[in-house]
Amino acid sequence: MTMERRDVLKLGAAATVAAALAGCSKIASEVAETPDALPLPTGDVTPELRVLHRLGFGPRPGDIARVASMGLAAYVEDQLAASQTEEPRLNLLLSNLEIFSIDSEDMMDIHREQVIAQLQRANLLYAVYSRNQLQERMTDFWLNHFNIYAPKSDDAWRLAGDTRKVIRNHALGKFPDMVKASAHSPAMLDYLDNTVNKSGVANENYARELMELHTLGVHGGYTQQDVMEVARCLTGWTIEKRFLHRRGTFRFDETVHDDGQKGVLGHIIPAKGGEADGDRVLEIVSNHPSTAKHISAKLCREFLGHEDAGWIDKMSTTYLSTGGDIKEMIRPLLLSKEILASPPIAKRPLDFVASCLRATNADSNCGPGVIDHLTKMGQSPYLWPMPDGYPDKAEAWTGSMLGRWNFALALAGGQIGGTSLDASRMHDPLEDVLGRHRSNKDIVEQHSKRLPNDQALALCLSSPEFQWR
Amino acid sequence: MIKLLRSAYRRPNFSGDSVRSFATYHLPFTIYHLPIFKKTEMSNRNKEWWSCEDYSRTQRITRRGVLVGSSLALLGLGLRKSALGQVAVRTDKDPADGNTLVVIFLRGGVDGLNAIVPHAEDAYYRARPTLSIARPNDKRAKSEDRAIDLNGFFGLHPSLAPLMPLYEGGQMAFIHAIGSMDGSHSHFEAMNCMERGLATSGSGDPSGWLARHLMTSPGNGSAMRAVAIGGTMPDSLRGASTALALDSLDDFRLSGDAGFRVALDALYADGKDPLTSAGKQTLKALDALHAMPGENKKDYPDEELAQGLRQVSQLIKSGVGVEVACLEKTGWDTHVAQGASTGILASQLSTVAKALAAFARDMGPRMDKVTVIAQTEFGRRVQENDGFGTDHGHGSVMLLMGGGVKAGVHTQWPGLAENQLSGPGDLQVTTDYRNVFAEVLEKRLGSKNATSVFPGLQYAAPGITA
Repeated sequence: MTMERRDVLKLGAAATVAAALAGCSKIASEVAETPDALPLPTGDVTPELRVLHRLGFGPRPGDIARVASMGLAAYVEDQLAASQTEEPRLNLLLSNLEIFSIDSEDMMDIHREQVIAQLQRANLLYAVYSRNQLQERMTDFWLNHFNIYAPKSDDAWRLAGDTRKVIRNHALGKFPDMVKASAHSPAMLDYLDNTVNKSGVANENYARELMELHTLGVHGGYTQQDVMEVARCLTGWTIEKRFLHRRGTFRFDETVHDDGQKGVLGHIIPAKGGEADGDRVLEIVSNHPSTAKHISAKLCREFLGHEDAGWIDKMSTTYLSTGGDIKEMIRPLLLSKEILASPPIAKRPLDFVASCLRATNADSNCGPGVIDHLTKMGQSPYLWPMPDGYPDKAEAWTGSMLGRWNFALALAGGQIGGTSLDASRMHDPLEDVLGRHRSNKDIVEQHSKRLPNDQALALCLSSPEFQWR
Repeated sequence: MIKLLRSAYRRPNFSGDSVRSFATYHLPFTIYHLPIFKKTEMSNRNKEWWSCEDYSRTQRITRRGVLVGSSLALLGLGLRKSALGQVAVRTDKDPADGNTLVVIFLRGGVDGLNAIVPHAEDAYYRARPTLSIARPNDKRAKSEDRAIDLNGFFGLHPSLAPLMPLYEGGQMAFIHAIGSMDGSHSHFEAMNCMERGLATSGSGDPSGWLARHLMTSPGNGSAMRAVAIGGTMPDSLRGASTALALDSLDDFRLSGDAGFRVALDALYADGKDPLTSAGKQTLKALDALHAMPGENKKDYPDEELAQGLRQVSQLIKSGVGVEVACLEKTGWDTHVAQGASTGILASQLSTVAKALAAFARDMGPRMDKVTVIAQTEFGRRVQENDGFGTDHGHGSVMLLMGGGVKAGVHTQWPGLAENQLSGPGDLQVTTDYRNVFAEVLEKRLGSKNATSVFPGLQYAAPGITA
């Protein structure tokens, strides 16, 4: 066993050297720059397992064989199309949630905590049970990109609409459409204080995050002056609160709009533009090369685990030539050798929980029983207070290990409310969870013999390798 | 559910009682009893009071200075105190031995001007017709709405009253007009800059300043050497493979059989990636905590920061070797309806003051071995906005509490007149926050590498700790 492991490590080291020689010096130098550069796990990952982990939330029993039989390319196309009919179980569980059947204004009768609990539940149900796994991974990605903190103001009641209209509708669509939808989203306008952005005393909060986080990126070439000018352009973009109007929807309030001339990123926006000032701003930032680069870099991190200059260039070019078509940007990356060869990416707690539920084929309502565990690991959906979304670096999650182990034990032991597990239906828990040739397998196997069945399964889920995707 | 109770990062709720009427604070000059210091006058006074010590970057105004009023008496006192401090450091084999640094990041940009109020500044009251805190001697305001005078120039927000005994007892220092050189006005840039210990954000070392300290000093080998209480690992600890993020000490238990634990020990024995090494640290910490005496039941408010500090105290008392503890409190981004003596900011400040007071009470004499830093990424615009709030500014306040801290308000006050402001109307930064951090690392944690932790820093110890 020791020999085997050492061999695996050697192979890993050899692969790194080869990659560096082959021109991937960017990866090597990045690893070296990390203050405490540590080698990543080096288990033998099959292409099917890798793709199921990168495009979605990991395999359910049978998925690996299914992807192998249809071929990787066909699977990627199937996922890009995102047109699979969902399982009846998912539809049934979702239809039980009031947040999908009641308008945001009427929903105010339901207590905020309950609304947030339903939002979290829906989020996890989709991640675990949707057949359109790529759609769900992108939904998670964009929900963090356009992060909104649910407890702020009345946003809890608006987030079901925001998630559907802004995020889910455009998750694999065109990025500029998503920016536009977000800029008209009552939840976002309230979260980032644009509802109080008025002529005379502009509030810069949304204007700044629109450029810094949503589009250009922090070094995207805008100045404090641009922030102030964009804020002026967006004065009056607010939420309808008048009697006898469609309350809670987007409204342009011309009475508080600053109708003077503005200059944004070198473009002159003439006076008297009204609502069109904001539209023009969205157009300018959406078509900006910095935005293409910023979004490409983030997508690159999402799928490769690091920023690769070559891929960023390639994807930026596609962004600019297709009007920010997300599918076209990521298709070559998803079909690339790099996605198979790149170092593993740490699962964030949501990734971990979803992949546990999928690997064990658990029957879960994804309710508070599961969410409480996720909260202990530090990644409760919709509850990241800052607009930058949950961190994506492994180092940000080193405190979640105990939470992971305790979740694995509770799940396997049938101690999570609303969640049950039939381990006897798993063909071979060890293989289903860890795959065939993982380096942790020997240790797990050896210790499993002395443990009750449920804890043996928990051990697979608790192993270092299962923390990576 | 704990996360739900966390105060909102940006609370928009407009609470009517938090907005004071204009008249309350629009006061005639005649009622002042204390002289109003102009910038030049104040600098001269500083020279007179403190010429005995060379603080190249930071001049100081202390409560004691105002009260005693005699430069000679103060000269003697100041020297004696610092001399004693030196002796203490020299006789100690290792100054870091058993010392703990607690860093509280107040995220969102604390309005330093309303926390430590420059009540002698007319410009402050002009810029904040509805949000200002009344002068300590303002008879028109109710006594509970007035600032609590510290030194004739600065006063505490009334919600910080629980800190007053600590200030008077010589355990608390405020550094005003402090910050980074980052002028981005972005929370994330400014926080990132400070947590990485840089002058400005952008390129530079990607690791955190506390992580660099931990990685460049020998350390005590404890599994609990660096702990973050709360959900995620702060950027200041990024790159410290030994740092642990704990949601709560009380929940820090592993279920499962003994055999499961043995298996985890085997699985996490030799892994070197960040998560495997985190797993190994976690297993060590479980052992350390298992050996700890029972939970301390001292009185702490039932709120996240206070409960976090309660756990830090528990860790310190049980001697598991915690050297650095990080906590945070969000909800300072008061763009809208910030309030004055009551309201959003007041309740935030009150929470912090009560939590710190409870911690100091609990620690008792052990506080001599503990230093608490409460920092924020930037202050807020001097001029209040149309939404009864304040926008992102620059200079703010930092708080230091604990043993070896030289009590007082330490500042090179830049003034609030229009021509004294920076950027779009911000309090200037006159003290580089890294000088304070470096001094704390050197004096309190015995760092020999304090300056290398902050690359490019022209280190000038501000003399706030002994």
